[in-house]
Amino acid sequence: MSATPPQRRYRVTDNVDFLIIGCGASGSVLARELSRNGFSVVALEQGPWLDRSQFTHDEYRVQAQNLLTNNPQKQPMTFRKTPNDKAVKQPALVYGRMVGGGTVHFTANYWRFHEIDFIEASKKGTIPGTGFTDWPITYADLEPYYTKAEWDLGVSGLAGASPFDPPRSKPYPLPPMPVKSSGVLFEQGARKLGYHPFPAPMAILSQSYQGRLACAHCGFCMGFGCEMGAKSSPLPTMVPQAVATGRCEIRPHSYVRKIELDATGRAIGAVYFDRNGKQNLQHAKAVIVSSNGAETARLLLLSQSNRFPHGLANSSGVVGKYLMFNTDPLCGATFEHELNEYKSIQVTRILHDFYEIDPKHGFYGGGGMDGRFLWTPISYGSAGMSPRAPKWGSEYKKAMARNFNRTMFIACHTTSLPLENNSISLDDTLKDAWGLPAMRVTYKDHPDDLKTGQFLLDRGMEILDAAGAQDRWAFPVEETTFGFHLLGTCRMGRDPKSSVINLDHRTHDVANLFLCDGSSFVTSGRGQPTETIQALAFRASDRITALAKKGEI
Amino acid sequence: MDNTRRTFLAQAAASLGLLYLTGLTPEVLAQAHEHAKTAPRDLDGQPFRFFTPQQAADYEAFAVQIFPTDDTPGAKEANVVRFVDFALSEIEPQNKQDFTTALEALNAQAKKTAPQATSFAALTSAQQIEAMKAMEKSDAFGTLKFYTVAGFFGDPADGGNKDKIGWKLIGFEDSFYYAPPFGWYDGQAMKEKA
Repeated sequence: MSATPPQRRYRVTDNVDFLIIGCGASGSVLARELSRNGFSVVALEQGPWLDRSQFTHDEYRVQAQNLLTNNPQKQPMTFRKTPNDKAVKQPALVYGRMVGGGTVHFTANYWRFHEIDFIEASKKGTIPGTGFTDWPITYADLEPYYTKAEWDLGVSGLAGASPFDPPRSKPYPLPPMPVKSSGVLFEQGARKLGYHPFPAPMAILSQSYQGRLACAHCGFCMGFGCEMGAKSSPLPTMVPQAVATGRCEIRPHSYVRKIELDATGRAIGAVYFDRNGKQNLQHAKAVIVSSNGAETARLLLLSQSNRFPHGLANSSGVVGKYLMFNTDPLCGATFEHELNEYKSIQVTRILHDFYEIDPKHGFYGGGGMDGRFLWTPISYGSAGMSPRAPKWGSEYKKAMARNFNRTMFIACHTTSLPLENNSISLDDTLKDAWGLPAMRVTYKDHPDDLKTGQFLLDRGMEILDAAGAQDRWAFPVEETTFGFHLLGTCRMGRDPKSSVINLDHRTHDVANLFLCDGSSFVTSGRGQPTETIQALAFRASDRITALAKKGEI
Repeated sequence: MDNTRRTFLAQAAASLGLLYLTGLTPEVLAQAHEHAKTAPRDLDGQPFRFFTPQQAADYEAFAVQIFPTDDTPGAKEANVVRFVDFALSEIEPQNKQDFTTALEALNAQAKKTAPQATSFAALTSAQQIEAMKAMEKSDAFGTLKFYTVAGFFGDPADGGNKDKIGWKLIGFEDSFYYAPPFGWYDGQAMKEKA
């Protein structure tokens, strides 16, 4: 399917400096940074390495064939709400499965965390029955790396436009994307109510940047790869830059089944199935797992051994635990005039007025909100209209014709509390196409998460009203049974008894094993994790480089 | 892309100074337009690969009730049945059984509605509507409707949405590159600013 571009090649017997497992949002950043810093790097990716000329707007085909994402036929999963329930085979999460990972098909919302996200437990107090705790690093530690991510990848936005923005050392490299009708209406409604909407920071080029072309406003960002290369995923940025060092090999179609240790307990590399199903052991002096917040934990659990009977680097017992999804309550409305929301990017205006919901409401939580369309023609025809709209027949046709271009939505993005029961584990019986134990997802929202969702949804309905909506509706807030933000399963911390990695992303248990992706999160943030995942990867690259140069790996 | 069109696009973009402000340089437009070209798949007159003739008739009768031909073209004109035949043969063969099961449920409902009926297609239109209403909340109905919507609003490259009938109905252009203002409200906001 994909021809691998010319690049440096290593043999599996070559003991490279770093083996990176997973070449997505964080892995490709680590690959570029470490190879630029002079190290030899092999990055294994289970999915293909697609060229942007292979991307399509064929909505049906992208979904039906899982062209960009994990395939539930080959990689089945089970889901249950609590450990007491029987896990049932069903798709429970989606992630990008290709070089570039989920950032290839993401909407490109690119939000920094705020200062409070890192220190919330000590400011607000712990919450009984949860793993709510501070991060061991602060916003100030990550700020230089947020800036680096924005400038190295290419982000459009307006610094200082939100009174809630955290301090930043540099503005965005590119001006905001042009506002859409959904953005204008969102802004008008929100301002009437006294809120502070502002231009959405987006990892999409509003102007040509570093040799890449600007966005053509085709409208196919969310769920699709960008054929222009204007979406600032690692695919047109980090990946070719890593390869250009001459020290990095990106190896697609490589599905890792186990990290191997030597007799002293140090990692020596990883065993993977290549595209022909043959197993290889790639040797390396150090291993970095960046396979996403679900697969990283699963790989550690798959890598159990006599030394680590409960999973590699799992002396704490928390590998796979404290999974957080974020919830995304949604309300929609129709308006008198045409919005033509199918054009251009999803989101042009957001607000952070409810980043921290006043505790007087009786629950913990907070979030952000945005105005957007959310749909493409097939998905809109299937599920995008008001629940009161006709479902088929001539009246359905008329409603589609009237509403497709007169509809917008407000998407809310919430905190999810870290709960020990919410987890990635190995299924007892189900196997994937390679014969490995399938992923078992256990998830039940904390009641405060659902209250947060309902609170934001109510504010969203008020904004739509204030914007002059004709008809409006909210999809009910329900317990989450399907995740796409995969966070928290190998949390960072100082205490080896309650966390998996330290401040350098090094596992507490194995000196030359590092983890860096959504699994490193301690708390969930407010629903847009990608910039923080990538800032962590830039920071981890510096920390790991410093350790390697001191001979401490 | 041929040179004539490339030159045309470049000139069109150059004549609108605003496009440069939004990053829509001639180079961008040319590349976007090149990518947007997909050839429609014309399956008219070819033998079915998935459907038996009876299944095709039953399914098409269903699809026509979802998108009737009224003052605008419907599922029949959009070749939705051809899309499903292609999709289940070529793109999603793993769903053949689900679809067949759903069709069987449709025919079972047809027999409940009119015990003498041999199939869903044999019902009168009023009976078809009655049968569909009776199973509206079932998985079978959901499966059949999803494929109908996909065939009506999907990429013509997959054999449905013939002549962009579905896209024209809802006002979805398919140039895949656009310049602001995109809609009425941002157009108004632009005017107020100017």
